[in-house]
Amino acid sequence: MQFRPTAKAAKLLSCAALASILPLAGYSQDVKTLTSWDLQTQEDTVKVIRNGMDRFEAANPGFKVEDSHFANDAYKTKLKIAFGADEAPCIFSSWGGGPLREYIKSDQVVDLTPYLDENPEFKDRFMPASFTAVTYEDHIYGLPAETSAVGVIIYNKELFAENDITPPETWDELMDVVAQLQEKNIAPFALANKTKWPGSMYFVYLADRIGGPETFLNAAERAPGGSFEDPTFIKAGEMLQDLVKAGGFARGYNGLDYDIGGSRRLLYSGRAAMELMGTWEFSTIANENPDFADKIGFFPFPSVEGGKGDPNNVVGTLGDNFISIASSCEYPDAAFDLLMHLTDDIAVEKKLEDNGIMPVKNLEVDDPFLSGVMDMVADAPSVQLWYDQELPPALAEVHKDTTQQLLGLSITPEEAAAAMEAAAKAQDSSN
Amino acid sequence: MSSAEIAPTESGHRQSSRRFRRAQKVAPFVFLAPAVLLLLVFLLYPLVSSFRLSFVSWNGLGDGGDFVGFQNWVRLAHDTLFWRSALHNILLAVFSVVVQLPIAVVLAVVLDEASKGSRILKILYFLPLLMSSVALGVLFKNIYDPNFGPINGILSELGLYSWTQDWLGDPRLALASVIAVVSWQYIPFYMVLFLAALSSFPREITEAARLDGASGRTIFWRLKLPHLQGTFRTAALLVLIGSMRYFDLIYVMTGGGPENASEVMATYMYRTVFASFELGYGSTIASAMFFIIMAISIVSLRVSQRFETEV
Repeated sequence: MQFRPTAKAAKLLSCAALASILPLAGYSQDVKTLTSWDLQTQEDTVKVIRNGMDRFEAANPGFKVEDSHFANDAYKTKLKIAFGADEAPCIFSSWGGGPLREYIKSDQVVDLTPYLDENPEFKDRFMPASFTAVTYEDHIYGLPAETSAVGVIIYNKELFAENDITPPETWDELMDVVAQLQEKNIAPFALANKTKWPGSMYFVYLADRIGGPETFLNAAERAPGGSFEDPTFIKAGEMLQDLVKAGGFARGYNGLDYDIGGSRRLLYSGRAAMELMGTWEFSTIANENPDFADKIGFFPFPSVEGGKGDPNNVVGTLGDNFISIASSCEYPDAAFDLLMHLTDDIAVEKKLEDNGIMPVKNLEVDDPFLSGVMDMVADAPSVQLWYDQELPPALAEVHKDTTQQLLGLSITPEEAAAAMEAAAKAQDSSN
Repeated sequence: MSSAEIAPTESGHRQSSRRFRRAQKVAPFVFLAPAVLLLLVFLLYPLVSSFRLSFVSWNGLGDGGDFVGFQNWVRLAHDTLFWRSALHNILLAVFSVVVQLPIAVVLAVVLDEASKGSRILKILYFLPLLMSSVALGVLFKNIYDPNFGPINGILSELGLYSWTQDWLGDPRLALASVIAVVSWQYIPFYMVLFLAALSSFPREITEAARLDGASGRTIFWRLKLPHLQGTFRTAALLVLIGSMRYFDLIYVMTGGGPENASEVMATYMYRTVFASFELGYGSTIASAMFFIIMAISIVSLRVSQRFETEV
C-alpha cells in the first residue's frame, strides 16, 4: 500500500477549512447580535424589557438581541470584570452616578448626546432631571430605563391607628412618634444595614433637609468652600445618633441583611412600625406578602426645623436604572435604536402596568401609591441621587462605612465628617 | 557476508536502545509539561502580574493605570484597617486550631471505636462540609437573627432574655459568631482526616495494650494520639493556611461588618477592588496576603518539623 500523507492531509485540511468557514459566513451575513445586560430578575419586568427587544428585532431585520439578567450585587462585580476584560455587553444597565462616571472616564461608554439631538421629540418626553445621574461634562451617557424610586417612610397604618399616631411632618414630631412607639414596645424603624446603603438613606435625607442639596454638591465637587466637614454633615450625624439613642431602630439593625428580608420581616410581624426605603419596596412587599400590602401607607421624610433644604426635596433616582451603550459595541446606531424601543411610549405603558413609573412628562397614574410618588417627584425642587451611587466609588465606600459606624455609635459625627473629608481630599489629589 | 548481515542489526539495536534511553530522559518532561504549563499560566502568571499591579494606581477599566512606585505599599503599611483584618485572620486561625482540631480528634476516635453502628453518624457529621458556603451562610444568618432566630428564641423561652444577643450586628460578637460557623463547617473535614489516619492504626496494638491492663484513656493518650501526630501537623497547617485566606462565609454572613468588626484580608481586598474600584491597591493587599501566608507556612512547617524529631 502506498502511503501518501500529503494527499490525506490536504483532504483533511480542506474539509476542516470548509467546515469552519461555512457556518461563520452564514452567521455573519444573517444575524448581527446585540448583547444586553441588566439587573431585572422579576419575571414580569423581564417580559416588559423583552417586549421592547422583540419590537426592535421586528423593526430591524437581521438583528438579534441576546438579553441576560443578573442579581443585584453579583451584577456590579460581573459588569466591572467584563469591562476590565474588554468583554463588555453592547448595552448595559447602571445607576448612573459615580460608578458610571468611572466607565465614562476610561472611554468605555458611548456619548448619546448626538443621537438625542437628532431625536428631539424623543428626548423631550423625559423629565429633564432624569438625565442628571447620567450626565458628565454636559454630555448624556444613558437613558432612564425603569422607574422613579425615591426614599419614603413606609408605615404600618394599623399600628399607627391603634396607637393614635399620625404621620409626623417634622423631625421633632417624628421623635415624639418614636417615643410613643417605644412606650408600646414597638420598634419605630426597621433597618437592615448589613450592606450599608439602607442606613445611608437616613443620613442623606437629614443632610439634604439641614443644608439643602448644594452643601453636598459643593463638597462632592470640591467647590470652593465645599467640605464634608460642613456643619450640615456634623448636624446630620448628631441627629442620626439621637435617633439611635432614642431607640429608633429595631434590634440587630447593623447586622440584618436587606437582601434576605431582614427589615421587612420586622414590618410584617408588627414588631417595627416604619421603614425608610425606596419606593420599590411597595412592589417587593406586594410580591412577598400581598395581605400586608393593604396595611401600609407612606409619608415623605419629615422636615427639619431651621433647615435650609426644601422639605419637598426628595432623595432617590428618576430612572432607577439607566441603560447605556458600551464603546466596544459593533453597532452603536442599532444599539441606540434598541434603547429607544426600550424606553418608548409602549414601553412606558407596559412598565406602568408592572408598577414602574418612568420619569416621562404627563404620565397618568391610577394607582394611589404610584400617583403619590409621581406627585412627590413632580413637586420636588431637587432630586438628590443616593450618595453611595453619586460619589466616586472609593469615597462612596467611606461614606457607607462611616454611616454604619455612626449608627453603631462607635464614632462621633465629627470623626465621621473628618474621615469623609480626608478621603475626598485624597480622591481629589489622585485625579 | 555473515558479519555484514549482523552488523546492521547490531547497530540497529544499539541505535534503538540509545533512542530508548533518550526517550526515557525526555519522558518525565513530556508527562510533566501539561501540569507545569497549567501552573505557569494559571498560577505563576497571575501571581506575578498581580504583584506588578500592586505598583500601579488603576481603577481596573480601560488600559494601563499609572505607575506609582511603592506608594501603595506605603499606604498599606499605614492602613490600620488592613492590619486589623490581618489580626482577625490570625484570631480565626488560632480559634480554628484550638476549636476544630480537638473536636475533630474526639469525634474521629469515638466514631472509630463505635465502628459499625456509627456509619449513619459518620454521614450525618460529614453533611456540613457538603453544603455550599452561601447556603450555609444564609441559613446561619436566619439562625442568628436577633428578632426571629431560634437561638434568641430559645434563650428567651428559657427566661434568659438577658443572654440574648445581637449575634451578627454587635461588633463585639460578629467575628466570634462567624468563627463558630466556620468551625462547624470544617470540623467534619478534619474528622475524616483523623478517621483515615486511625484506620491505619493496628488493632493488635490496642488488643495487646488491653491485655496488659491499659485503660481506654491510656490507649487514647499513649497510643492513638501519638499515632495521629503526623496527621495533626498536616491538619494544623491546613487550618492555618485556610484561615489566613478565608473569604466565603464571612462575605456572605457579615460582609466584613458591622463596622469592619469581622473584616478579614480577603474581604477587604474584595471590597477595595470591586466596591472602591481600586484595582492597584487591591492587588497590593493580595500580594501582601501572599507574602504573609507564605511566611506563616514556612515558619509553621519548620516548627512542625522540629516537633516531629522531638517526639
